[in-house]
Amino acid sequence: MDKNVIETEITMGTVHSAAIEPYRVRLFVEDEIVKDAEITVGVNHRGVERIMEGLPVEKANSLTEKICGICSGVHLWNSVLVAEKGLEVEIPERASYIRIIVAELERIHSHLLYLAHGNEVLGHETFSMRLFYIRETVMELLRIIGGNRVQYGVPIIGGIRPRAELDEMKVQKIREGIDYIRGKVKEFADRFTSDPMIMSRITGVCPLNRKDALRLAVTGPTLRATGVEFDTRKEMECYDPFEFDVITQDDGDVKSNLLVRVFEIFESVKIIKQALKNLPEGAVVDRSWEMQDTDITKSYVEAPRGTLYHSYALEDGRVRNVVIRTPSIANIGAMQYALIGHHITDAQLGIVQCDPCFTCTDRAIEIIKRR
Amino acid sequence: MYSILGVIGTIIIGFIVSLWLPGLERKLIHARVQQRIGPPISSPGIMAPLKFFFKQTIMPYSPLPRLYNSLPLIGLLSVLFIFLFTVPETYQLGAFASIVAIVGFLKIEEVIYVFMGSLSKSVMSLRMPFPDLAKGAKHPNVQRSFLEDISAMRAFRLIAFGSFPLYIALFVPAVISGSISLGDIVAYQQVHGPILFSAAGVIGAIVFFIGYMILLNEYPFVILKAKADVIEGPYMEYAAKWRALVYIMRGFLMFTLATLFSVLFLGVPPSIFTWGILVNILVAVLFPMLMASFSAFAPIFTFKQFYPVTFGATILGVVALLAAFI
Amino acid sequence: MGIKSYARARAIHAMLVYTGGCNGCDIEIVNAVFSPKYDAEQYKIFLTWNPREADVLIVTGPVTKQNKKPLKEIYKAIPEPKLVIAAGACALMGGVYKNIHGDIPSEEIAGPVEEIIPVDAKIPGCAVRPEDVLAGAVSALPKLLEAK
Repeated sequence: MDKNVIETEITMGTVHSAAIEPYRVRLFVEDEIVKDAEITVGVNHRGVERIMEGLPVEKANSLTEKICGICSGVHLWNSVLVAEKGLEVEIPERASYIRIIVAELERIHSHLLYLAHGNEVLGHETFSMRLFYIRETVMELLRIIGGNRVQYGVPIIGGIRPRAELDEMKVQKIREGIDYIRGKVKEFADRFTSDPMIMSRITGVCPLNRKDALRLAVTGPTLRATGVEFDTRKEMECYDPFEFDVITQDDGDVKSNLLVRVFEIFESVKIIKQALKNLPEGAVVDRSWEMQDTDITKSYVEAPRGTLYHSYALEDGRVRNVVIRTPSIANIGAMQYALIGHHITDAQLGIVQCDPCFTCTDRAIEIIKRR
Repeated sequence: MYSILGVIGTIIIGFIVSLWLPGLERKLIHARVQQRIGPPISSPGIMAPLKFFFKQTIMPYSPLPRLYNSLPLIGLLSVLFIFLFTVPETYQLGAFASIVAIVGFLKIEEVIYVFMGSLSKSVMSLRMPFPDLAKGAKHPNVQRSFLEDISAMRAFRLIAFGSFPLYIALFVPAVISGSISLGDIVAYQQVHGPILFSAAGVIGAIVFFIGYMILLNEYPFVILKAKADVIEGPYMEYAAKWRALVYIMRGFLMFTLATLFSVLFLGVPPSIFTWGILVNILVAVLFPMLMASFSAFAPIFTFKQFYPVTFGATILGVVALLAAFI
Repeated sequence: MGIKSYARARAIHAMLVYTGGCNGCDIEIVNAVFSPKYDAEQYKIFLTWNPREADVLIVTGPVTKQNKKPLKEIYKAIPEPKLVIAAGACALMGGVYKNIHGDIPSEEIAGPVEEIIPVDAKIPGCAVRPEDVLAGAVSALPKLLEAK
């Protein structure tokens, strides 16, 4: 790329109407076309990994939930999984099923938020509001299960919190809720994809091809939107009893990204239905485990945004050497790359299409220079 | 004396009606489409400007704050002049009460956005304190510009092509009636019936409506002040009473353009001495509602979509002109 | 009630500044305004992103060091009379990030909000519930209405 054509630099953030989270985007533009982009994170850095160092493991687990308000449940789940792997705790099957139900509900709520926010950035206030309305159902379900709308904290070491045990009433409510969501999202998707104005706005905008996606180490639905069939859920043991498809799209543009999320909502509904149908009986928590020192244990789960990695060691019941790698940090490269050659108004859309969660990302920044 | 009273009375009526239009748009259409209750009708149009009048006046952050602050006033005055020349009592002014004068005043309306954009230096863009330069950049020695500068550039482009549909639509009645004077156009329609009910008139009206939406920067033609990048664009630094003027200016422009439509296409000039003013008010209420029902279902158009739409509308306008000649 | 406070009560422009934290409060507040379920516009609260237009500044998050200056600047840009609402446990007291730590405390938090700009109303909760946001905004209103 020729550096001489860059005319001016536009900065957006840290407070901006299209980006609710604080981060900085510097766009190098020529004639309103983005020639290069630079995303600066770190505004939001709170040092969660550092303050976790030396906390008792239960307390540290509940702190991981505060990394992100959108995918709080999955952070907690992964952190608990690390401890369980290290301590070799077997959890009851029922607890595992309920954890999956919560994780999938969370995926639905996160994807709906993504779609709503995407529509807001697209300038379509009506769809944004409708999606927020659909999302309220999931929030209500999560509140019924966990007792809070955002930080519901279901998994604990050895199972799930007894508060989150599913009785007949809750099961019935979840069944009704996911049916409603499925119907509504389907209606939305039909309406959305048949709207010529929206389609002309999102088709071919900020595309990412398969090769670049792999080169930039993109993960999650953003990777699947480029046609790579990769889903950490397929590699997780607890997902073995469930039958679901890995959704892929071909183009990697905003349209593919939106559609991947829409179809993943349907897959999540499918998983929840199977889980509710085959929900095993029995206890939900096994408290018979004993604390011991462990080596650094690693765990990967599929968060709504991609592969999430947690690892730590245990020493006298306290956590050591915490490392958390969130999916958004992998996608920042894709965000910067996808914007090049597109209009400034599409720039925020190109960032939003990768479903950024900079709050997740800003815990510790490690700059790796790649050759 | 009698006619001066008439003019002033008409302006006051128009002004009062124009205050309700943003509220009608928001409450009756947007909120209904979005399945919510929405704000009271008086809130966005009347109460918000009134509230801004009672706020502390602060100097905007701008290289020429006084000029920047006076721009909404200039805009409001130019809209007022357009409205003035549509009132039948002023038709004797000849050259002023003609389409050319109206086009001229509409141009002022558009040009002020360029000035607003280039004079506004908001805290939300480059003035946001952030250690950017200390961190270096991919391209370190590039000139840095404010978000509003982008808006100014867009306003400049819109002057070049965005207002074509409206101007072409304005000339359709002129071609049909064979005169650019508003008085003659109204007189022609009183004899031959409204221009709207002819083929050229219908196409002209559609083009006029598209031009109306573009000039008012309503969704989907909102690129001048798109929330996705420039936040509020040219209006960023207006505070207190100057912001109130911006609100009033927009409402009054809505009313004035609708009046212009009823004069040019229906042959009903606004005057408080005839029942015709009810037609004006009806058109003024219908136009924003129609606009709102389009904007509720439209995303922002970038220039990729904007060019074809304006180009298509312009072609349609030319077709209307040709039909008018035949 | 004079015309001044009447007009102020009928059109309230709220601006949201998010200064760190976990996104939870932030989304709940946008939700409170955006979702038709809560729809703050029926209580005459409009969302804006321009400090020059705003009356009410809603701050969430514990205010990280990088965010301290922008927050101050935005606060300064709002014309009087203005209200500041701190929403969420982080904005009120620094939340888990400031108060819970193992061996080393976090050095990144400049907050809570009170230490940076004056706060008029506090909304507790982790994360705040949309109902509480609306209630908090309403409870702080008299100060705005009675201002000179």
